[in-house]
Amino acid sequence: MASDPQSAANQRIVEDLVSRLRRRQVVGSRATALETLLVLRQVVSKARFSNIDQLVNVIRSVGRRLVEAQPKEHSVGNTVRKVLHHIREEYHTASEPPAIETSFSIAKFVLQGQPRRQTTIPRSETRVPLKENDPDDPDSFARVLKPVLMEAIQDVFDELETVYDNISKNAKDHIHSDEIILTLGMSTTVQSFLKAAAHYRNYTVIVAETAPSYGGREMAKSLSSAGISTFLVPDSSIYALMSRVNKVILGAHAILANGGMFATSGSLLAATAARSYSTPVVVCAGQFKLTPLWNLYHEYGALDFGDPSAVLGFEEGDLVDKVDVVNPYYDYVQPELLDVFITNYGDHPPSSIYRLLKETYDDEDNEL
Amino acid sequence: MAPKSNAGKEKLIGNEDEVLQAVILADSFNKRFRPLTTRKPRCLLPICNAPLLDWTFESLALAGVQEIFVICRSHPEQIKEKIAESRWSKPGSGIKIVPILTAKETFSPGDAMRDIYTRGLVTGDFVLVMGDLVSNIRIDEVVKVHKERRKTNKDAIMTMVVKESGAKHRTRSSSESAIFALDSETSECLHYQPVMGYPPADVASVPRQVLVDHPDVEIRNDFIDCSIDICSVEVPSLFQDNFDYLDIRRDFVHGVLTSDLLMKNIYCYVAKEGYAARVQDTKSYEAISKDILSRWTFPLVPDNNHPAGHLYEHRRGNKYIDKDGTVILARTSTVGNKCLIGSSTEISDNAQIIASVIGQNCFIGAGAIIDNSYIFDDTMIGPGCVIERSIIGSGVDIKENTRVDKGSLIGDDVVIGPNVHLEAFGRLSRKRDPAGDEDGDEDEYTDSEEEEVEASQESIAIDLGSASNAIFWPPSAPDEDEDEDNVENFKNQRFMRLGDSASDLAFSDSGSESSDEASDSSDEDSELDTHLGTLPTSSATSLSLDAPGGSSSDATAEFQREVKLSLERAFAEGHSLDNASVELKTLRMASNVPLSRVREAVVSAIVDQIKIIEGGGVPQRQEIANVITRWGPLINKIGGIDAVETISVLQAHCASSERLLLFGQILAALYQDDIVEENDIREWHGSPTSQGLGLPAGTLRTENMKKCWAVGSRMIQQFDEQDEEDDSDDGESEDGRWGRRGRRGRR
Repeated sequence: MASDPQSAANQRIVEDLVSRLRRRQVVGSRATALETLLVLRQVVSKARFSNIDQLVNVIRSVGRRLVEAQPKEHSVGNTVRKVLHHIREEYHTASEPPAIETSFSIAKFVLQGQPRRQTTIPRSETRVPLKENDPDDPDSFARVLKPVLMEAIQDVFDELETVYDNISKNAKDHIHSDEIILTLGMSTTVQSFLKAAAHYRNYTVIVAETAPSYGGREMAKSLSSAGISTFLVPDSSIYALMSRVNKVILGAHAILANGGMFATSGSLLAATAARSYSTPVVVCAGQFKLTPLWNLYHEYGALDFGDPSAVLGFEEGDLVDKVDVVNPYYDYVQPELLDVFITNYGDHPPSSIYRLLKETYDDEDNEL
Repeated sequence: MAPKSNAGKEKLIGNEDEVLQAVILADSFNKRFRPLTTRKPRCLLPICNAPLLDWTFESLALAGVQEIFVICRSHPEQIKEKIAESRWSKPGSGIKIVPILTAKETFSPGDAMRDIYTRGLVTGDFVLVMGDLVSNIRIDEVVKVHKERRKTNKDAIMTMVVKESGAKHRTRSSSESAIFALDSETSECLHYQPVMGYPPADVASVPRQVLVDHPDVEIRNDFIDCSIDICSVEVPSLFQDNFDYLDIRRDFVHGVLTSDLLMKNIYCYVAKEGYAARVQDTKSYEAISKDILSRWTFPLVPDNNHPAGHLYEHRRGNKYIDKDGTVILARTSTVGNKCLIGSSTEISDNAQIIASVIGQNCFIGAGAIIDNSYIFDDTMIGPGCVIERSIIGSGVDIKENTRVDKGSLIGDDVVIGPNVHLEAFGRLSRKRDPAGDEDGDEDEYTDSEEEEVEASQESIAIDLGSASNAIFWPPSAPDEDEDEDNVENFKNQRFMRLGDSASDLAFSDSGSESSDEASDSSDEDSELDTHLGTLPTSSATSLSLDAPGGSSSDATAEFQREVKLSLERAFAEGHSLDNASVELKTLRMASNVPLSRVREAVVSAIVDQIKIIEGGGVPQRQEIANVITRWGPLINKIGGIDAVETISVLQAHCASSERLLLFGQILAALYQDDIVEENDIREWHGSPTSQGLGLPAGTLRTENMKKCWAVGSRMIQQFDEQDEEDDSDDGESEDGRWGRRGRRGRR
C-alpha cells in the first residue's frame, strides 16, 4: 500500500463518509450500505496491489475505519464483508480451473423451481493467466483482476438496487384476501411489500404510530394513498387489537447471527403481543442486513439511544434537570418471537439464518 | 469508469462553490473561570474530556463551514498548537482553520470585530460564534434563511440564533439573558433588553413605535441566546464606525435597533430543533456537561461523535466508559448514572462516582466520593476524599481525606492535603515558580490579579496541607463603588457560580425600589412598559399603555428651544426640507427625547412662523397656505407619521397661544396638503383628550381646547355634508378625488 496521491484521494472520500456517519448525516441501513459500496468501489478502482492479500488488506482497513465510525449501522460492516467475499470468489474462479459447482446452498434449495438469474450465467471470458507478485510488472495482477472485481461490486450494487422488488415479489403468497395486517414504523421494505400485495389482494393494514419518531404516521399516509384500507392506531392499543390481527409484518434494522433482530422500538412490544395470541410474525428485510454478530449484552435493548428531545421537549426546563429521559432507537427481538424472514433470497426461518450467513460472508471477515 | 463512481466525487466538488466562513472569538474577555484559566485559555478547558474549541469546531463542521478564523488573544501559542495537532488540520477534514492573533489590547468582542474589519478577513456572509459553543443546530439552514432574506431586504444585516427553553432552564444563564421583542410573522428582532440576575429587573420597556409599526409582537423571556450570529459583511464595519461598541449584544444589537440613522434590521432564528448553548460561566459548564451526558446534544455525544475522537462505550443509564479497555474499575466501586470516565483511569475499591466526568489517566483512591464534579486529566484523588460539585484542573494531586466543598475551582497542578477541608467556593491555583522564567514570555499574559492574590497570601490563614503548593484566592468582596450595570458586578457573578443557587438574591430586592423605577420610566418617556414581576415567563406579561404626559423637564425645554432656533434659521435661510429634517434628527439624538416631543416642537415652530394678519380674511388664508405648503411636509419627515397626534399637538399649541383663531384654517391647510386625512380628523375628534377631558375644567386653556374642538366639529359636519352631496352625485370619481371637490365646497 504505497502512499501516493491516489491513496490520498481515497483517504479523502473515506474520511468524508466517516464524518458523515459519525454525524449521523447518513442514516438507515440501505443508505449506509449504498454509500459504503460507493466508497469501496472507488477504493478498489484506485488501489494498487500485486497480490490478493494486499487488496484484502486495503479493503479491510477502510472497512474497519468505517465500522468504527458508526458501529451501530451494521450494514456498513456487512457490505464490506460481502464485497470481500465476492472478491475472493472472483479471485478463486479466475485463478483456478473451473470446477463443477457442488456446494450445497440452502438459498438455492429454497428457490429451486423458480426461474431466476441465479441460474449462473456461464462466464465466457477469455482466460488470461493470472500471475501474482510478478516482479517484472507488479501491476499486471491488478490489471487482469480489476475488471472482474468491478463487476463483482456491481453485482452487490444491483442487489441493493433491486432489493425491494425482489422482496415484494412473493408478497401475494404471504398476504391473503381479507386479512388484517399489523405493522409499525416507517420501513421502505415493508411499505413496498404491502403495496405489491395490494395489486392482488384486498386486505386491511393497522399501523401503530410508533412514538416518538411517529414513523407510523408517514407509513399510514403512504399506504392509504396506494389504496390500501389503513388504520392508524396509538402504540398502546397494539395488544388490544392483536386478537383481530392475522399477521404482524415488521421491518428490521439488522438481522443477527442467532436469528434475532434489531428493529424500531416498539417491535418487541408487537412481537410479544403477537406471541401471546400466537399470531405469526413476519420480517421483511434485504439480505444486506444479515449481520454475523450477536447481541451479547442486553436482553431487550439495542443500546442505541437517540436524542431525548423527541420524548420530552428541551423547553421543559424544570423537568430536564430532574428527569433522565431516554429515547432508544431499536429493540432487540429474540428469534423465538419471530416466525419467518422474507429476504430477497427467499424465505428463511430464524433457525437457518446461521446457514445463510455462512453462504454470504467468509468466516475470517466476521471480525474486521 | 462507470458513471456512478463519479457521483460521489462530484458531490464533494459541488460543495465548494460557495465557501461558508466562520469566525470564532476564542477569548472570553472575562475571568469567570479563574483560576482554571490562569495558564490556559478558556476555550481549551475540556468539557466531557474534549476541549471546548473542538466542540465548537464540530458544531461548525456539522453545518458545513469550510473556512474558520479563530481569533485568539490570551495564550495564543497554546491554541495554535492545539489546532495544528487536532484532526481538523489533517487533510481530508475539508475545513481550513486559520488562527489569528489579535493585540493584547483587545479587551472586548467589539475590539475583536474591529480587528476583523481592519484585517479584511471576511468576504461574504459569515457565521460568528464564541469559542465555547456546543451546538448541533443546522447552522447552514440558518445561513440559507439569512441569505434568502438578504435578497429582498439589504438592511437585514444579522440573524441571531436563539433556542426556546423555559425561563428557569438549567442551561439558560440567569445572570446574562435578555428579553427579545420579535415580530411574530417575520421574527424580526424589534427590541432587545439585556437582563441580569442582579440587579433584578422587573420592567421591560418596549418602545411605543415598535407596537405602532408591528401589529403582532412577541415579547419573549425564555430564549437561550446561543451567540450564533449570521452576520453580513457590514457588521464588522459597523463596529469600526462605532468605536464605543464593546459587547455584541448589549452594545451592538441594542445600538442598531435603537438607532434611527442606521436603519438596519436584525432578525432572530428561533431554533425549534437542535441544541445550542455556550459555556459562559462555571454554572453553565455544569449544565452543558449534564446536557451532553443526557444526550440532548445528539448526535454530538461521547459514544457517537466525540469531538476529540475518543471512543466511549455507552452503558445503560448514560454511563460512558472508555472503549479501549484501559479503565480499571474496582469490583466494589460504584459508578452512578450520567458519568464519563476517560481512558487509563483507575477507580479503587469502594469509591463512589456520582454524575461526574473524570478525565484520562486519573486515579481515584479507595473510598473517595466524587459527587457532581468535573475532574480533568492526570489528576490524583487520594483515598477517603470527598469532592462535591467542583471543577478540578489537570495534574492536580489531592491527598487523602481531603474534603472539597461545592463550587470550588482548583487550578492545574495544585497539590493540597492531606486532611484539609476546603470551604465552599474556594479557589486555588499553583504558586508560580519563584525563579520561574523558563516560560518568561508567557508571564505577560498572567495579569496583575494573580500577583495580587499571591501578595495577599500572608494575610490569609487557611491550612492547605503540609505538602501544598497552592495559593488561595480570597473570595471577591462586593466592591462599594462598583457599577451595578456591569454584568461582572459581584452579585450578578454569584448567579454564574457553580453550585451557587443565589436564592438570597433572587427573591429579595424586588420591592419598592423597582416599582419606583417603573412609574418613573412610564412618566418620562411615554414608552410601553411591561411589568414582569420578577420576570417569570413570557406568557405572563401584561401590557399597559401610558398616554404621553405633558411633563416639561429641563432637558425637554432645552431641546424645544434648540429646535425652535434651528427651525427659525431654516425658515430664515430657506433650507431644503431634507436638510432641516436631518438637523432635527441629529438634535433628537443629541438630547435623547421621544418622537412626540419633536413633533410638538416642530408643529409649534411652524405655527409660530405664521404671521397674524390683522383683519384675517383672504390675506391671512394666503399666508397660512404659504407656510404650510412650504414647511408642512416637515412634520412627517421627522420620522414616524402619526397625523392624529399632529392634530392633537396643533390643538394643544393653538389653545395656549394667540393663534387660537387660526386653528381651523391651519387644519384646513394641512388637510389640503394631504398632511392629514379626513379619517385622521375624525379620529382626533373622537378621542377624549381632544375635547379637553382630563384637563382641569374652567381654565382658559381648557376653554380654548374646547373651542378648537368645536372648530373640528364644524369641519366634520362639512365632510358629512360633502359625503351626502357626493352620494347624490353619480360618483364619476373615486375616493381620492372627492376630497378636492370637498375643498372647493368649503371655500
